[in-house]
Amino acid sequence: MRLSADIVIMGSGAAGVSAADAALAKGKKVVIFEKRPFQGGVANCAIQFIIVRNEKEYQDKAFQLLYEYSNYNGNPAVIRQYVNNSWRTKEFIERMGVKMKAADLVPLEDLGAPERADGFPPALNVHGDDWMALGRGKGHGGALICLNGRRDIEKRGGIYLLDTPLTDIRMDEEGKVCAAVGVNNQTGEEVVVDCKAVIICAGGMMDDPDMIKKHTGFNYTGKNAPNGGNVTFNCFPNSKQTGDGHKLAWKLGGAVGAVSIEGHDLIPGPGIEMSTAWLTYNQFKIMTEQPYLWVNANGERFLDESLSNNHMAINRSIRNQPGRVSYMIFDDDTRRHLEEEGVDYFYFVFPADKLTDIKGQFDDLINNWKNEHVFMEDTLEAICEKAGIDESGLKKTLDRYNGFCDSGVDEEFAKDAKYLRPVRKGPFYAMRVFCGGYNTMGGIRVNGNMQVITDAQKPIEGLFAAGDNVLNEIYGNPIIGGLGAAYFAMPLGFAAGDSASDYIDTMS
Amino acid sequence: MKIEIKDYCIRCGICVGLYPELYAHNFEEDKIDILADPETPEQIERAKASAADCAVTAIFLNQG
Repeated sequence: MRLSADIVIMGSGAAGVSAADAALAKGKKVVIFEKRPFQGGVANCAIQFIIVRNEKEYQDKAFQLLYEYSNYNGNPAVIRQYVNNSWRTKEFIERMGVKMKAADLVPLEDLGAPERADGFPPALNVHGDDWMALGRGKGHGGALICLNGRRDIEKRGGIYLLDTPLTDIRMDEEGKVCAAVGVNNQTGEEVVVDCKAVIICAGGMMDDPDMIKKHTGFNYTGKNAPNGGNVTFNCFPNSKQTGDGHKLAWKLGGAVGAVSIEGHDLIPGPGIEMSTAWLTYNQFKIMTEQPYLWVNANGERFLDESLSNNHMAINRSIRNQPGRVSYMIFDDDTRRHLEEEGVDYFYFVFPADKLTDIKGQFDDLINNWKNEHVFMEDTLEAICEKAGIDESGLKKTLDRYNGFCDSGVDEEFAKDAKYLRPVRKGPFYAMRVFCGGYNTMGGIRVNGNMQVITDAQKPIEGLFAAGDNVLNEIYGNPIIGGLGAAYFAMPLGFAAGDSASDYIDTMS
Repeated sequence: MKIEIKDYCIRCGICVGLYPELYAHNFEEDKIDILADPETPEQIERAKASAADCAVTAIFLNQG
């Protein structure tokens, strides 16, 4: 099959649908290659949207917050594209018939305020207003955005080629993009689309263990994380995020940028989250938010546990531990505290004031789900043996830590005294926690026009990128951190759609 | 009563997680399998609930 278009888009998630919307608005003919038989991919999980208002003061403040968050290592031109196009995300979502509910409308003077950040770095969570996209049934708003977006784009003349991975991008004699090639998974038929520009919105590489190892140093060994694994992902079942866009961009001379693991600490294995993110079988994700004792495999503390609900802080700290593994431990008195007096940290994603039947939850996870990463034992010795924690190291730590709890002063890491809870009374509860997240971020380098660039920072003519695969331009190439969020991907999609359209207009 | 899953199903697995007696992931063929069509009133109620919980209105119940 042979088609022609102005712009080909690789991937139909948050960035892809936004890029298509922008290009269609500029009168361009658009074809979208999607390797799955349905639209959206991991963007189907999106629920929260931080939106920067379309007012200069808000945009300037958001820009400053994010640029500073990147340690001035981010690309300021791309950060500016994000903040200036953020408002279009909300406009698009509502135009698609998806309702938005305000969770926190932040006045200008409160942008960056820690008290509004729900434990997250304020620059990430409070650089704009906080909105929730309302889904249908138990689903997420992102699923409706992608579905309604597809219907709208098809109605406006855009073409979705579902179940058709884009496998090659062709260049003409002048080194400009001239065609995109894909193969239909069902029929095996080759599809060639003659075009002037391609926008890569293909997501991350979390489903390719070799790429994860090479670009992040982590060992991804599957969702149940058998021996040797030290990272896990919880985004979308069978997501097939295999770095296809990265491979094409790099093959055409694009610079290889840093790849990050999105910061979201997770207990690996079955029985906690359902196959799709944000739905859980139990309350373990609330437990790991709490500011109780964390140790590494040597039994040593490694941070002020008041930061337990700051996913960036906890993930970066876990990464620095032996084997990149950590353990959260509490005793039966804290179990009673959580059930009777309630949680210390309320988690807005999984709201609960009090936890219920924690023993039963551990028992179910250990014995019914066969999860090998949670432990409930009568003695600390048994916990250490089963979890692989150094017993003498943990005992030394507890001698000191329980003393801090008694005196009310954490002389080691200055944890807030109200969160100092001793670990003395069995049974004891422990959870093995890995770095993890919804996806990888970055790897493709772009300039402020969202053009893919070479090592010499020269643009590749006609090749653009947006979404998770370029997000490190915003975060400044951290090893861990940032959010693989649709609200970051969509503004960059709009910017890429605009820039690719302008590029074509300039050509003609 | 028969369960039908439309082709725009996103395979998110909400139905699999909440109604495992009715649905299963088929990763090999990249689809959701229907394990059983509901017959008893309880099963029909569960199937109706699964349709209501679907993220993209892809689950339908048909007489027959």
